[in-house]
Amino acid sequence: MLLLSLRSLRRQPARFAASLLATFLGATILMSFASLLDTRVAGAVDPDSAKTLVLMASVVGGWGLVIVLFAVLSTLSLLVSQRAAEMALLKSIGATPAQIGLMVVGEALAVAAVGALAAILPADLGGGLVVHLLHNTGQLAPDVTHRFGAIAICLGFGITLVAAGVAAVLAARRTTRTNARDALLVAATGQRPVPRARIISGVVFLVAGLSCGITTAVALRGGGVETMAVGAQGAIFAAIGFALLAPVLLRAVIAVLAGPLRVLPGVSGYLTERNVRGQLQKMAGAVVPIILFTGISTGTLYMQEIENSAKAMTGAVQTVADRNTETLNLVVVGMLAVFAGIMVINTLVAATTFRRREFGQQRLIGATPPQVLRMVGLEGAVLVFTGVLLGSLAATVTVFPYSVAKLGTFAPDTSIALYLAVVLAAVALTLGSSVGTARRVIRTPAVAAATTRI
Amino acid sequence: MDGPRHAPNSHPTQQAEAVRLVSVRKTYGAADNPVVALNNVTVGLPAGTFTAVMGPSGSGKSTFLHCAAGLDQPTSGRVFIDGAELTGGDETALTKFRRQRVGFVFQQFNLLPTLTALQNVALPLRLAGRRVDLRHCRAVLASVGLAERADHLPAELSGGQQQRVAIARAIAAQPRVIFADEPTGALDTTAARDVLGLLRQSVRQGGQTIVMVTHDPVAASYADAVLFLADGQLVGSLTRPTADAVAQRMARLSDEVARRHQVAVGV
Ligand SMILES: Nc1ncnc2c1ncn2[C@@H]1O[C@H](COP(=O)(O)OP(=O)(O)O)[C@@H](O)[C@H]1O
Ligand SMILES: [Mg+2]
Repeated sequence: MLLLSLRSLRRQPARFAASLLATFLGATILMSFASLLDTRVAGAVDPDSAKTLVLMASVVGGWGLVIVLFAVLSTLSLLVSQRAAEMALLKSIGATPAQIGLMVVGEALAVAAVGALAAILPADLGGGLVVHLLHNTGQLAPDVTHRFGAIAICLGFGITLVAAGVAAVLAARRTTRTNARDALLVAATGQRPVPRARIISGVVFLVAGLSCGITTAVALRGGGVETMAVGAQGAIFAAIGFALLAPVLLRAVIAVLAGPLRVLPGVSGYLTERNVRGQLQKMAGAVVPIILFTGISTGTLYMQEIENSAKAMTGAVQTVADRNTETLNLVVVGMLAVFAGIMVINTLVAATTFRRREFGQQRLIGATPPQVLRMVGLEGAVLVFTGVLLGSLAATVTVFPYSVAKLGTFAPDTSIALYLAVVLAAVALTLGSSVGTARRVIRTPAVAAATTRI
Repeated sequence: MDGPRHAPNSHPTQQAEAVRLVSVRKTYGAADNPVVALNNVTVGLPAGTFTAVMGPSGSGKSTFLHCAAGLDQPTSGRVFIDGAELTGGDETALTKFRRQRVGFVFQQFNLLPTLTALQNVALPLRLAGRRVDLRHCRAVLASVGLAERADHLPAELSGGQQQRVAIARAIAAQPRVIFADEPTGALDTTAARDVLGLLRQSVRQGGQTIVMVTHDPVAASYADAVLFLADGQLVGSLTRPTADAVAQRMARLSDEVARRHQVAVGV
């Protein structure tokens, strides 16, 4: 079985591209910031510098860890679910659940190891860049030099491999638990109930996020680092909660949108509604990175805005150091937002490429290429609407309480332009990657596409 | 120049031929070393008949079907469906041409997994922007014996039932011609017999025109006529075929092709 998994890796590298990209970028971010801890323990570091390094590593680690985990989990689940038919086949010819599990986990670990290995060099450079910025902003003594060592390697490989392993076990369990006939059924329809544990943990994270928000607004008024840390945590927890609840919430959204979709002229609205309802879990997989992208970008950008407003209120002029700190924050947020953005693209490209056969079938029964593209675009619109809605809600759990704590007012006096830019970026990423991929996919002649087995 | 071969009722515009291929040639690959999949095929298929196309593997059956159905453009030659010539155009124009005139039934059942049987049957009508008469669609499903299964998803149906839904879908859109490529290829004998019986019934009772590619002599015996292809050329036909006659003809054909290839290699 292990041999089988290595063989399928070698034969079909394109299938694993999305997971590989996710583990590579994820491990890069993890190891970049974990190397700050290496830098901390490497030699004589003054207490102030030490504090900066640890704070940076752990605070950024919050969002970093979350999005890396989700990226690895979601791309690997996608990979496993795309191979559900293959696994059902293996099962029907007598493979035991344990054998299939071993194969899936073996593949996932191999992908994660390759991704983490490739990430070492970029992570060394990334960590060096952060240290350079910390030097420039005077938050780190000039004599502290960047180190990349055991902690970065252990954390990077450890987290990436564990995340990949857990994702594979969960995904494989979903397919292997069901009996052979049902497995074929699930492979065909993609429908299975949302596990209760997922719903419960989603609710727990939402409540945790809300309590962070309330704590920030009520108990941490005017505070310093703690306000920022707890405040930021609110959106992180809320975003995790929404991500876990995505299938359930998407079902609610599509129930509301069903009416408007049905009155749209043509067949696209009808197909969109059927497809989203019929493949909730797959569709929710694409919503998650949009939630994270919107949540991270909106939450952290507005925290910085509020920070600036608070400075302005006290009458203090922004010093060079303040501006440098802002730059540093934006670079860090930028890295995470770019990562989340790449995951939006990654997930949608992989999911849309996989629909080659479905598009071919639709065209054989009379769908024109523009009709197929309109349907994909409409589905993308539903996904980005849901993702932006939930991501924005998650961000408010940070933004409003932080505004209350820092400015004493619920609504910060900041421009809405930043938010609109984030939404626009989410829409462009989603529609660009889904419709763009579909355009490429439907270039295959309809018969060839409809009769491929994959 | 390509008038109807004979006009049973004196109506001059009435088309007696549902499909006509004139000197159709299809090659694949590089221009200096082409693979000739269809070589100068000319044939007319009368409306309201059930035609089977047979030939050894690689003889060009699928290519014939794809060219005749407007799924692929011939390298040269002309194709008429229901009297209208298939002319070059973009995918959208071709799709619109096809959806008014042809329906398909393939070996893989090709039903959309998120739609119920009934919704699958109605989908071509929706795509074409035609009014969807659900009662008519239900009636067609009932005619293929699936009245009780109308609201089931494809995954909840057996292979034979799925293929019957695919046939109902093709029939419900009332195309001039239905093209079927190995429609029984993935079915057991009983299910295959049901499917072939349904196809024949839609010709006898509904006046449907069907062109079916198969390699199975028993399947071909359900047709009114069989066309034989070898090395991309039409090499004969058989009317009112029996399974035995078809099998004999196929055996001879395979021998001839093998001999011809041997000679070609020997030269
Ligand atoms: N897309 C293609 N590219 C190159 N050669 C092709 C292609 N499709 C079919 N052929 C070749 O054309 C010939 C006829 O193929 P096909 O029509 O599929 O035969 P059949 O359906 O009778 O088995 C074969 O020699 C086949 O290899
Ligand atoms: Mg063929």
